[in-house]
Amino acid sequence: MLKITQELLIGMLSTINIGIVLLDSECRVVLINDWVINHLETPEKITNGVCFYTVFPKMSQGRIHEAIKMAIHHNLSSTLSPSLNKSPLPLFSSPLDRKKGIRMQQAIQIIPIQLEDAPRYCLLQITDVTLSIHREKLLRNQALLLREQSYFDALTGVANRRRFNEYAEDEFRRARRTVSPFSLLMIDVDHFKLYNDYYGHLEGDHCLKQVAMTLARTIKRPADLLTRYGGEEFAVILPDTNREGSYTVADGMLNEIRNLKIEHIKSLTSPYVTVSIGAATTVPKKNELVTDLIKIADRALYYAKGTGRNKIVFATEEGTIFS
Amino acid sequence: MFQLIEIQHDALVEVFNVGVGRAAAALSSMVNEEIILSVPDVYFLSIQDATTALNGGREAPKVCGVSQRFAGAFNTNVTLMFPEDKSLELVRLMVGESIPLEQLTEMEHEALSEIGNILLNSCMGTMADILNSEMHGSLPEYQVGTPEEILGISGNNISDLVLILRINFILEKLKLQGYVAFVMDAAAMEDICRHINDYLASFAHND
Repeated sequence: MLKITQELLIGMLSTINIGIVLLDSECRVVLINDWVINHLETPEKITNGVCFYTVFPKMSQGRIHEAIKMAIHHNLSSTLSPSLNKSPLPLFSSPLDRKKGIRMQQAIQIIPIQLEDAPRYCLLQITDVTLSIHREKLLRNQALLLREQSYFDALTGVANRRRFNEYAEDEFRRARRTVSPFSLLMIDVDHFKLYNDYYGHLEGDHCLKQVAMTLARTIKRPADLLTRYGGEEFAVILPDTNREGSYTVADGMLNEIRNLKIEHIKSLTSPYVTVSIGAATTVPKKNELVTDLIKIADRALYYAKGTGRNKIVFATEEGTIFS
Repeated sequence: MFQLIEIQHDALVEVFNVGVGRAAAALSSMVNEEIILSVPDVYFLSIQDATTALNGGREAPKVCGVSQRFAGAFNTNVTLMFPEDKSLELVRLMVGESIPLEQLTEMEHEALSEIGNILLNSCMGTMADILNSEMHGSLPEYQVGTPEEILGISGNNISDLVLILRINFILEKLKLQGYVAFVMDAAAMEDICRHINDYLASFAHND
């Protein structure tokens, strides 16, 4: 006949791969299995009957203590999650971790055991979740990386700086290969700092969204790309576009923003929100870099801002500037 | 439909507010942030009406549920439910780490289970204290689904009643509303009413 003996039960408890601590209603240790002892700071045998809080003095207050009380006095089970309870018990996954002082990440369940006509017992069940936590950390880092690598600006929804860098690089190289013109527009919202200071950052965000949406609408060809370059600055990449073509796009944008008539009473340029646009065009030569063209367009923008704003300025490689 | 008389309703609201108050204190100390919980009202519904109420006018919304089974003074299956998106926010605020994933990870399930466990244990513990009785509580189980799926889990009978508790959570950065649904059969209903009446009668004696 198959029979479970006490020896068999104890043998089983000493080999299972989770921690088991059984307490009586006075919080005395009735049973503590080998798993727990082997993962202690100093793996020494614990005599039965010793108080749980003598073995783990730091546990005499806090969540574990509360959960034990819940089990013994209220007959209620508790779960302690690793994220909300950082390694409560001084247990170590491996000798190396013990040496380094890195505690095991633990998931703990505290459950009452009621036998008929006996004071209640309390069972602590401890699982090592160090590996799961590690896996989640990897997952989280990957997710963060993916988000960073995404191509869209969270506020305006247009392409972000990262996308700008990659697309400008690719299209610039293609223009060199096919010997075609390549244009760039750098766009800055006039007196945006004054706008933010006066209307507040929430309104400022709202304004940027509207500007971005309007600029995006004026772009007609699928290869053209509007990006948020940073702060209140946008950049437009126009492949296969000569100076004349880029002027048409820039002029359309300038007018659309004027027509939006977003009130800006602190602007020194106009009662409404306006933009300044710096433009540059090139047919890329050997050794010419897209960053060279960005610098030229930037110079044009700088000039536009220095000469009254709300206008388009072109700059060339040779340094000539005209609007 | 079963209805509580006003004095019974008020007694239940009081008991649950003491319960969630204890839970709020426990949760606050765990995350070092003030968390305010309150129960504005409780009501009894049929399982069907409860499902409709929990849907909140939306078509089968996804909710996260933490369930525990309680047995003793009265027997009930209790589930704390939050809208799925709010659960994400709540857990991430409490754990203090933001994971840009659309679903809760395994460790976040565990954290939400613990939050629910603390809340349900506090409510039931308080109830047991005040009603001078005792209840055995199981470990929490976590599940995601529509209110219908969660309330329709095995063991719940179509004729069962649901005691619904609306719970307001207020954190510094987040306000949300959760529901606790106590599913019980007619016998459990009678038990709970008897306990409330005893509780109310104890005041009468003291006067």
